[in-house]
Amino acid sequence: MIFLKRQLPLLITFVTGIVFAAQYYVPHPASEEMLTSVTKWLQIIGGFALILGVTSLFHIHAVKIRRKEPGWGYSFVLYAGMLGTIVIGLWGNGKEVTNGTMTAFGWIYNFMMVPLQGTMFAILAFFIASAAYRSFRARSREAAVLLAAAIIVMTGRVPLGEYLIPLSGDLTQWILNVLNASVRRAILIGISLGAVALSLKIIFGIERSYLGGGKE
Amino acid sequence: MSFAERMLQIDRRIIFLVIGLCTLIPLFYPVGLAIKVGPEVRGVYNYIESLPEGSVFLLSLDFDPASKPELYPQAVALLRHAFKKNLRVIGMTLWLPGTGMANEVITRVAEEMGKEAGKDYVFLGWSPGGSSVIINMGQDLYKAFPTDYNNQPTKDLAVLKDVKTLRDVSYVVSLAAGSTGIESWYVFGKDKYKFELGGGCTGVIAPGLYPLLRSGQINGLIGGLRGAAEYEVLIGQKGRAVAGMDAQSATHVAIIILVMLCNTFYLMLRKGQRRAGQA
Repeated sequence: MIFLKRQLPLLITFVTGIVFAAQYYVPHPASEEMLTSVTKWLQIIGGFALILGVTSLFHIHAVKIRRKEPGWGYSFVLYAGMLGTIVIGLWGNGKEVTNGTMTAFGWIYNFMMVPLQGTMFAILAFFIASAAYRSFRARSREAAVLLAAAIIVMTGRVPLGEYLIPLSGDLTQWILNVLNASVRRAILIGISLGAVALSLKIIFGIERSYLGGGKE
Repeated sequence: MSFAERMLQIDRRIIFLVIGLCTLIPLFYPVGLAIKVGPEVRGVYNYIESLPEGSVFLLSLDFDPASKPELYPQAVALLRHAFKKNLRVIGMTLWLPGTGMANEVITRVAEEMGKEAGKDYVFLGWSPGGSSVIINMGQDLYKAFPTDYNNQPTKDLAVLKDVKTLRDVSYVVSLAAGSTGIESWYVFGKDKYKFELGGGCTGVIAPGLYPLLRSGQINGLIGGLRGAAEYEVLIGQKGRAVAGMDAQSATHVAIIILVMLCNTFYLMLRKGQRRAGQA
C-alpha cells in the first residue's frame, strides 16, 4: 500500500514535472500534441473539482444544520439557494434567455446574483472611508510617506483632483510608473523565484505535504 | 474628553452619510469635468485602431458581477470600438459567475452596432480549467470550445474561419478582476502563442499590473472606472463611466478631506498628550 500511497504519486509528479518543464522548449508536433491532450485532461479535472467543491460545501453545511450550530439558519438559506438554483438551472437548460425571453434561471442571475454581488462591492466604499478616517494616521515617518503618496494618487486619479491641482496627474503617473512599478517588479521576482524553488521541491519529492497525512 | 478625541471617535454613520451624498448628488447633478486620457489607455485604443478590418479580436471577460460597475463599462467601450472597426470579435470568460453577464454585454452591444452572431462575433462562454483553458485554446481552439455558448459548433462559424489557435488571433484583451486574468493570459498565452495582449482591470489591482505594462508584456492597461471613462472619451461615445466620474471625484475628495481631518485631530491629540506628560 505504501507504493500506491507514497511512491507512485511521487513518481508521477517527478515524471510529469520533468516532461512538461522540458516540453516548453520542444516545439515538435508530438510534443505539442501531448500538451493538447494534457490540457484537455486538466479541463476535465477542473470540471470534477467543481463537483468536489459543491459536494464539500453541501457536506459542511449539512453538518451545521444537523448539529444546529450557531448560524445554522444561514446554512439552510445556502442550501435552499443552491438547490433552488441548480433545479431551476437544469430546468432551463442552463440558459438565461431562450427565444428572446428570460428564463427563471436568467431572472435569478440578473435580479438576484448580479445586484447582490454589486451591493457587496459597492458598500466597500463606505467601509473604506470609515476605516481610512479611523486608522490612516501619520503615526511614523513611513506611515506619513504612505499617507502623502495615497493622497497624491487619489487626487491625481480623478478629474476634480486634476482640476484643483493640475500637477497631481503627472505626479500620480510618476508614482505609478516609477516607484510602484519598480517595487512591484521586485516583489514579483521574489514570488516567482519562490514558485520555482517550490516547484523543484515538489518535483524532486522534497516537499510532500500535498500527499496528505494518514497512515502509511 | 477633548475636542480632538471626540472628533476622532465620530459616529461612523456620519461618514457613511457623507460618502452616500458625495455619490448621489453628482449622479443627479453632473458637472462633467474634463477627463485627461493617459498613455496606458491610449495604448489599447491605438492598437485596436491600427488593426485592419476583419482582424480577430478576442475579449476575455474575466470578472463576476461584483466588479460590474468598473469592468462592464470597459467591455461596452471596447466592444463598440471593435465593432466600429469591423473586427471579428470572439468573446469568452474564465470566470464562471460572469458567464451570463458576459453573454449579455456582447449580445447587447452587437445588436446596437447591427452585428450578426456567428458571422461578426461569437461568445464561446466558459470552460473549466482556468489557465489551462488558455493553453488549450493556444493548441486547438475548436477542442477547447467545440461549441459556442448557444451550442453552435465552432468549426462551422464564419467568424472563426481560419482561426484554429490563439496564434491566429490579432489582439487579446482580458478584462480582469483578479486571478485568473491578465497575468495568466500573459504567462500561458502571449508568451507561447505570440499574440498582442492588452488589459483592463479594477482600480484595486491596476497598480500591481504596472510592471507588465512597463516591460511591454501588455501594450496597454485600462484601470478601473477612470480607465473606462478615458476609453469612452477616445471613442467619442460617453456612457456610464463618464457619468460616474463626477461621483468618483467627489468621493475621492471627501475621503482625502476625511483623512486630513483625522490626521489634524490626531496630531492635536498627540501634542496635548505630550504637554500633559511634560507637566
